Amino acid sequence: MKRALRQIALCLTLAAASGQLSAQDNISRPQPMPDAPASEYRPLPRQDTLFVGATILDGAGGKLVGDVLVRDGRIVSLGKVADAGNAVRIDASGRWITPGLIDVHTHYGSFILPQGGSREDYSDIVENSGLNAANTWVEHGVRPSDPAFSRALAGGVTTVQILPGSGVIIGGRTVVVHTIPAVTLAQMRFPGAPQGLKMACGNNAVEQGSFPTSRQGQIAGLRHALHEARELLDRRAGEDGKRGKGGHRGGGGSGDPKEVTLAGAIEGKLPVHLHCYRADDIATWIAVLEEYGVKLGTVHHAVEAYKIAPLLARKGVCAAVWPDWWGFKREAEDGIPENAAFLDAAGACVMMHSDIPVLGSLLNLEAAKAAAAGRRAGLDIPPEKAIRWITSNPAKSLGLEDRVGTIAPGMNADLVVWSGDPFSVFSKPDLVLIDGAVAYDRAQRTRQPQSDFELGQPQREGIE
Amino acid sequence: MRLLAFLLLLALGLPAHAETIAITNARLMDGERDEAGMTIVMADGKIASVSRGGVAPSGARVVDAGGRPVTPSLAAAATQIGIVGMGSAANTRDEAVSSGPAGAGFAVAPGVDLNDLTIQEARAQGVVSAMVYPDAGNGVFAGTAALLRLDRTGNPVRNANAAVFAVPRGKNAGGSRGAAWALIRNALDEAKRPASAANAPRDDLLNPLDIAALRPVVAGRTPIAIVANREADIRQAIELSRDYGIRVVVVGGAEAWRVADALATSGVGVILDPLDELPFTYDTVGARRDNAAILAKAGVPIAFMVSAQAIYLSYDLGPALREGAGISAANGLSRADALRAITSAPARVWTGKASPGIAVGGAGDVVVWDGDPLEPSSAPAHVFVGGRELSKVTRQTRLRDRYHPSRSGDPLPPAYR
Repeated sequence: MKRALRQIALCLTLAAASGQLSAQDNISRPQPMPDAPASEYRPLPRQDTLFVGATILDGAGGKLVGDVLVRDGRIVSLGKVADAGNAVRIDASGRWITPGLIDVHTHYGSFILPQGGSREDYSDIVENSGLNAANTWVEHGVRPSDPAFSRALAGGVTTVQILPGSGVIIGGRTVVVHTIPAVTLAQMRFPGAPQGLKMACGNNAVEQGSFPTSRQGQIAGLRHALHEARELLDRRAGEDGKRGKGGHRGGGGSGDPKEVTLAGAIEGKLPVHLHCYRADDIATWIAVLEEYGVKLGTVHHAVEAYKIAPLLARKGVCAAVWPDWWGFKREAEDGIPENAAFLDAAGACVMMHSDIPVLGSLLNLEAAKAAAAGRRAGLDIPPEKAIRWITSNPAKSLGLEDRVGTIAPGMNADLVVWSGDPFSVFSKPDLVLIDGAVAYDRAQRTRQPQSDFELGQPQREGIE
Repeated sequence: MRLLAFLLLLALGLPAHAETIAITNARLMDGERDEAGMTIVMADGKIASVSRGGVAPSGARVVDAGGRPVTPSLAAAATQIGIVGMGSAANTRDEAVSSGPAGAGFAVAPGVDLNDLTIQEARAQGVVSAMVYPDAGNGVFAGTAALLRLDRTGNPVRNANAAVFAVPRGKNAGGSRGAAWALIRNALDEAKRPASAANAPRDDLLNPLDIAALRPVVAGRTPIAIVANREADIRQAIELSRDYGIRVVVVGGAEAWRVADALATSGVGVILDPLDELPFTYDTVGARRDNAAILAKAGVPIAFMVSAQAIYLSYDLGPALREGAGISAANGLSRADALRAITSAPARVWTGKASPGIAVGGAGDVVVWDGDPLEPSSAPAHVFVGGRELSKVTRQTRLRDRYHPSRSGDPLPPAYR
């Protein structure tokens, strides 16, 4: 029984990983947990638009000069568009268009700016009272008015994942939102996006004086938690057998909330995101998670991932990395700028991530640095490839590759119109579209969202 | 003959000088000019000539820049390379004191580890000059900063008492900025007293170490850094420079643009982080990306430090400085000012006198870049320090070569490569 379930889980995730990007409806991807709340996000007011004559990086590996037609919030066509109907024409010649950028690792709203006051004033980053916080959802600690959202948007980022912190080995459920600031979290939630499950290996999740005090203790704790989740699945399967098919709610609702969440990860309904730096740790976690039928989706930070690039490629594990972080702690001792490029060369799915808000609006430069390091090491990384590290690859990590991250007919019209080559420090997002609506316009103050916090602050006179 | 020359050198105890090097076809960018087709000749460790289309002297090693940019080496106005070590290993960290008697008298210089990998990386990335500063501890004085020259000739410390760092934080003075500023001013008052009276009165707050560190400050020989971002603190820093007639430098300065004219009038320079644009703390609510542009336009001496929550500050010093300069140039600062802010301007901010750049007679500290130095994606192609080319090999390049994809089929494991 266990093996059968494991295979089902594996099939689900493999199907998600190999899905074609062009047809939004014919794809198997992680479906949200049955207990996941509905989104109250609504697209901003929008009009059908034709962007003419742009250099387009489509996020799927293509580069062309041409037009992009957006209608009803979706990409309709790209290339040479003859009939744009009533769409508004925007001359984009000399400018570049990319998919909206996606950041799989932020703590926006749960580590809010300014970081002032007592810790409970600004930090709800993770519930760290025990080693297993699988029953917590970070979205319950997210304040949507964090000014960091609007800065990310102005940097071309249209979708972000907010994860619990790394202080415990099982941090709880993540949430995926658009970067259009709102009053409640539900109003930012990416419709239909699966939640994820955050885990953490290594230093941050080691406790002083209480379990687990070591890496091997972490693995023991992990096994214990996954064992219980498997038992829940076995119990459910047994009940199904008695009642006939369709008896239980599958993944949500019934059972201990921690076990329910972990069972969701086993069933492939919650993409698994692991904070882990060292190659040896990453390999260990992949193997142990596999024992319980959990496929690791994305390893975050992963400064040593380049040492096991073929393993990650073989296992279909994505890596979310920085281009240049090293040395600030022992786990990061061996970081090198070629990390992303070496992973890419091995065929692994790699992406940039910010982790800290100051980098959340600079993802294009993060990718620029990582790609350039790879080119200097002799690898061929043209812009149309590097753009995947901040578009389609993170979309895959979030289980959203059929919706965003690529400019193709049927995809959500999440787009950035850049003033020039997006990998140049001198280029800026002129327009950022989410679902075909202008969410940020560099030329129009009324389309530059601003947090409640910043409103009316005397220091900001002259900035607004 | 060669042997004779060698013995002669040995006998005279002279350093064997670097070979003569001619960089040809350079696009020379030093913040003063941006000219293509330049030839830069370095001999005896110094710049011997700079000329358009100049011919390399016979016997010189020719480095064809191929039209690529050539700049002076980079200078970090405020960093902690050499004293932060491996971040989580306390016994490698020497950047702050949180207990004990040392205040201004805590000098970072003896704690600078010339073999620290942060120094190896910075040097390979084209940084030659670096002001290494102490972090705030418990008191209002963090300590004394050291000026480093990363030329591989032994101890990199060139000035062990390059600046005193003060931190007007309320929590470092019992709970209020008011007390912090009172303590900073009192310390300067105590240091101004004649030496004979320095340790006499029983009610003095400073110990002899602190007095010794502050004497050159009140004498106007050593600058005092005020680590502050909030407009009100920056105004206090300006008043301090006026009241005491001392050289003051604001480090941080996120809201400095709000006082640009007063800073320019008082000659107080600002070392700012061009990446600041978020209200990261309540002191940086007024942060904006064109801070540098506004200050430069007003005539305020500026230089850059780039922190990214202290990751870039020391671990990615060279690339981060260039990224910061590029971002400021993309937000209104001239390219020349941006380049100056990471080359010649740090010396100007700290001492009032800019470093010479690429000028005849100046040190042969030159970098040939593989692209626009203001683009984060560029990197050094050649780094020359004191007229010698540095090896590009670092621990990171060794790791890179060991795990390069082309080695994946090697029969022996990585440890044998």
